[in-house]
Amino acid sequence: MNNNSFEHKMYAHCETGTLVGLLNNAGYKTTEAMVFGLASGIFFGYLDTKDFPFPTFIVRSRPGEVRENLSKILNIKLNSFKFKDADKGMQKLDDLLAQGIVVGAQVDFFYMDYFPQWMRVHNNVHFINIIGKEGNDYIISDSYHREIAKLDKSLLKKARWAGGTMAPKGFLYYPEKIDLDVDLTKIIPKTIKKAARNMLNIPIPFIGIKGIYKFADKLKTWSKQVRDIEHFSHEIIKINILLEEQGTGGAGFRYMYAAYLKQAGEIMNSPVLNEMSEKIMKIGDDWREISYFAAKIGKNRDLGDDRIAELSDMIRKQGDAEKIFFKELKKVY
Amino acid sequence: MKEKDIYVDFEAHKLVYYAEKEDNSYGPIISGSYLSANYLDDHWMKRKNLEEQLRNQVIANEISPILYYMTFLEMGPKDLASRAKMSMRKLSKTFKPEGFNKLRVAQLKLFADIFNIPVSNLFQTFLIKGDDQEKIEMKQAATDNELYHITMINLK
Repeated sequence: MNNNSFEHKMYAHCETGTLVGLLNNAGYKTTEAMVFGLASGIFFGYLDTKDFPFPTFIVRSRPGEVRENLSKILNIKLNSFKFKDADKGMQKLDDLLAQGIVVGAQVDFFYMDYFPQWMRVHNNVHFINIIGKEGNDYIISDSYHREIAKLDKSLLKKARWAGGTMAPKGFLYYPEKIDLDVDLTKIIPKTIKKAARNMLNIPIPFIGIKGIYKFADKLKTWSKQVRDIEHFSHEIIKINILLEEQGTGGAGFRYMYAAYLKQAGEIMNSPVLNEMSEKIMKIGDDWREISYFAAKIGKNRDLGDDRIAELSDMIRKQGDAEKIFFKELKKVY
Repeated sequence: MKEKDIYVDFEAHKLVYYAEKEDNSYGPIISGSYLSANYLDDHWMKRKNLEEQLRNQVIANEISPILYYMTFLEMGPKDLASRAKMSMRKLSKTFKPEGFNKLRVAQLKLFADIFNIPVSNLFQTFLIKGDDQEKIEMKQAATDNELYHITMINLK
């Protein structure tokens, strides 16, 4: 069984890519940037908890929130399921596929063996679309993979019930009902206000703009938390990975958000949104400079206090720039 | 950033980036990974050194294979404890050889599944001598017996 009409494409991010694939397949034509922007996905958070082996940061909203927000704002009815019993969860997937339904699934990225081993890490919030089954293999559309892939049943089962932080619990979903005539001109202003609020007004000291400043400050303490210079180098280079490589579309989703504001500006016929789009693109360029700088000093083991302070200052300036940007964005509507 | 400034020619690792296109629109492009194209050699070197360092600690009975894999795979203890269905306190005992030696086979199997390795790899490491690495291929295959794997070593 296979849904042959499903069009597989690469996308920047797995959650938005999976959603775009499902919506396009169901007849609602949209883009990844629109899905990300309409769901107010842009974000920042500095995380230093026992859930992670080392302090880290996020540049998009909580995993799953893009899907939830989009469903709410576009009035899309999503059917979703979680399972305690893995066998029942695998059977439900087979039943849906047998009906020709393409199904979105949450999995642990570590078990996606169509990627080389060096790319795979335990990450419970990877999203894929499952479009069919052939014998013991499931046919997978993965936003990060160039072609349609196959995944063995036993690995998919492990990946869906991996346990751990943000465990997938066999989560499956698919759109059941979509409002094709939704008026985006009424929705876009709300999504922009919400994104600005998330960056400016959440009263938690490590979230939004405050999170960027926290990152800039705490970076100076990282040298005390590492095993050795190679570990330090690895963590500093990971700044580049988190901003550029882990499904962000570059510059920590800032480029993707620029694309959203550009498209939103056309829909709203708003030159102001077009200007804001150019501004966040420029902010994205500066995040990219930080990525390049982090990779360079990491590789050269140029990680003395002065160099880390320089990197910290660059990040702090991004906090300043984004504070001005989101305050301005909030005033547009 | 302009499309031409973002694009990297690196076939082995492709990603989608957003960029300013020739017509001034913003949209996705498929490009090679900048980091993989320029920094993969450094990454491999660090991984090799870390692996060796951790292996030597296991050989010297300083740490257990559980801590070896958790560190190498960059997992947090809270995450691993949750996956292994045990408390953080109990997990931390398995980081030491004495605690590891008390684990039951079913618990070892659970850890092996988390690390996606055969159970037997918690007790051994295969090393191919430097000069022969290019000539030899090693593959470990599961069997119907979930505790028993077959290791195949072939000349390429």
